[in-house]
Amino acid sequence: MTATLTPAPSAELPPPASPRGRGLAERLSPYAYVAPFFVLFGVFGLFPLAFTFYVALFDWNPIGDQVFIGTDNFTRMFSDPRFWNAAGNTVSIWALSTIPQLLLALVLAHVLNHARLRFALFFRMSVLVPYITSVAATAVVFAQLFDRDYGLLNWLLGLVGIDPVDFVQSTWGSHVLIATMVTWRWFGYTTLLYLASLQSVPRAVFEAAAIDGAGPWQRFRHITIPSLRPVIIFTVVTSTIGGLQIFTEPLLTGSGLTCGAVRQCQTLTLFLYEQGFGQFEFGYGSAIGVALFVMVVAIAAINFVLSTRIKADR
Amino acid sequence: MKLRLPLLCTATALALLTACTPGTGGGGGGDGKSFEFWSFSAINQKLTVDAYQAKHPDVQIKLTEVGSSTETAQSLTTALAGGKVPDLVLIQGDNLPQFVDQPQNFVDLRTLGADDIKGDYLDWVWKQSVAKDGEVLGVPTDVGGMAVAYRTDLFAAAGLPTDREAVSALWPTWDAFIETGKRYKQATGKAFTDNAATSVFYQAVNQVSEKYYSADRKLVYSTNPQVKAAFDLGIKAATSGITAGQSSFESAWSAGMGQGAYAAVSAPSWMLNSIRSTAPDTKGKWDIARIPGGSGNWGGSYLAIPKGAKNPQAAWNYIKEMQSPAGQLEHFTRVGALPSTPSVYKDPKLTDGKDPFFTDAPTGKIYTDSLLGLKPFYIGPDSAAIGQEFLDAITNVEQGGGNPATAWDDAVSNIKTAIGE
Repeated sequence: MTATLTPAPSAELPPPASPRGRGLAERLSPYAYVAPFFVLFGVFGLFPLAFTFYVALFDWNPIGDQVFIGTDNFTRMFSDPRFWNAAGNTVSIWALSTIPQLLLALVLAHVLNHARLRFALFFRMSVLVPYITSVAATAVVFAQLFDRDYGLLNWLLGLVGIDPVDFVQSTWGSHVLIATMVTWRWFGYTTLLYLASLQSVPRAVFEAAAIDGAGPWQRFRHITIPSLRPVIIFTVVTSTIGGLQIFTEPLLTGSGLTCGAVRQCQTLTLFLYEQGFGQFEFGYGSAIGVALFVMVVAIAAINFVLSTRIKADR
Repeated sequence: MKLRLPLLCTATALALLTACTPGTGGGGGGDGKSFEFWSFSAINQKLTVDAYQAKHPDVQIKLTEVGSSTETAQSLTTALAGGKVPDLVLIQGDNLPQFVDQPQNFVDLRTLGADDIKGDYLDWVWKQSVAKDGEVLGVPTDVGGMAVAYRTDLFAAAGLPTDREAVSALWPTWDAFIETGKRYKQATGKAFTDNAATSVFYQAVNQVSEKYYSADRKLVYSTNPQVKAAFDLGIKAATSGITAGQSSFESAWSAGMGQGAYAAVSAPSWMLNSIRSTAPDTKGKWDIARIPGGSGNWGGSYLAIPKGAKNPQAAWNYIKEMQSPAGQLEHFTRVGALPSTPSVYKDPKLTDGKDPFFTDAPTGKIYTDSLLGLKPFYIGPDSAAIGQEFLDAITNVEQGGGNPATAWDDAVSNIKTAIGE
């Protein structure tokens, strides 16, 4: 009897020699587990970010002098037509790529969600192929398709008697070309996001609507779109942030860091790169980076406000 | 499973740290004889390096072909800022001024004996690598004499002469060159030359006595009548319909060269290598004529030793041997780069050198002739940026529907923005 009442031999547990020390270790260990991420983020994320703000206040020659000039880089930027040109191009390419891409994805998701679709998995997987293709490969192929002298597209236009279009050298042409590449790369990804969200809508809702006499358009308009509202806002915001930072496509489309003779397709990130690593004006390049950072933060804030509103509506 | 994630992260962090630790300078071993050499790609530098190593079996050269001349200069800037530099680096003439402006980054070659070999080189070429207090930063490896490469088969089809003397006589001036282009266009309906910006403007603007800077190093690009004249020639060519509108080194330009989309292309000496590799099937269909205006220089490169080099003496030994007049002459026979040492210009190896790709044209003689009577001008730190804006303005008129009447003013205002004047 007594034996059963004896507490478990203390040797089986680690001796609580210093309960305070043990408590401290226990309280600290979670931080140790998450530390690697925050250390890496600090070294490769936060420090470069803070340093960019610092460099933006200098006339910074990487192999020469670094002179503190206060906000001169920003004053120069706001009166620099090349900056506004790049900002305009970025917005134009963003609009030309995001709007068709989201509409296309919406329609595709609706079709792929259809109950009687055969080989659904095959179709759902194939829309993702452009997304996993490297940007460089996409750019090379599209540049050849849109080429003025030897391009397939101009050959087709020639068959119907239209003069060859110089896509790269014209402003709207280069924007269309780049927007096409962006759309091509991202529509599959967006489609899958919409599809995932659509699949959480009970099929019964669609069927009930069909029985009540709703046609395909009415079902799309009154069921698909409202049920996708949160994810639509999410994709608009993410593609806007992505669109602000578009770089590889314009770099590989035009000639050099200006993306053409009159900077017709130079985006903000490409302008940043040209100033920073083409002209080696690190200070000015950093100032452009800061401006870009402010824009992205502003859009992220809009996203936050919108998504909290949606939650509040429910 | 919960334990593994942090472990994995730590491992990744360690791997990253290791990757970030600078290596120990590869080829530059501790024996003081070996060194690391950064050069451009596609100029066959390896042939020369191999020749040196064959003569000096104890020397190890770690050659890195960084990329184009511009990319090499960009990598060098980054390397100088970061502190991990090669022992020897090739810098193209257009990129040189930005480094000459910051001489503290390089070994002053006078400390290694540059004054002793100074007399071997063309004086005006040597001067371009001399910094403000007389520091010598680089030794010139070659110069870019100028000429025009043309397709004999296409000229014959257009009823133009094909003999190189007769062709040279067609265009004593750039205006005559443009007129010849119009004749060609009328006869064939095809473009005469690749583009106005590089084939006309960039050649003509290198034939001046004063370019974007005056001799006392002041900016004069917007007021210099010689620059304006060259620009007007470029605009004239761009609007005359004789160009194919294909910018140099773009993919359509390469394709066009193979397909005979244009019959003539301005060819500084280093361009010959480019034609050979871009359109190998056109071998024997080319020949080389004199440049309109007779003389000029575009390009040419320099070898420099960064300040942080581990083995500057080994690098200097290489420069001294391979860039001597005899070394450069040998280099010419290997890859066709034009020597910067005038003492070999009369050497039979150079004057008798014939190029089978270009119908046995005596390239050595044609290009050295183009250097005679040359008027050297000062190239400044913003020369490359200024030249690029002028090029872009002409390309815009030729290909982008830009207004030729306002092109000059637009270019000048773009340059003011670009160089912050």
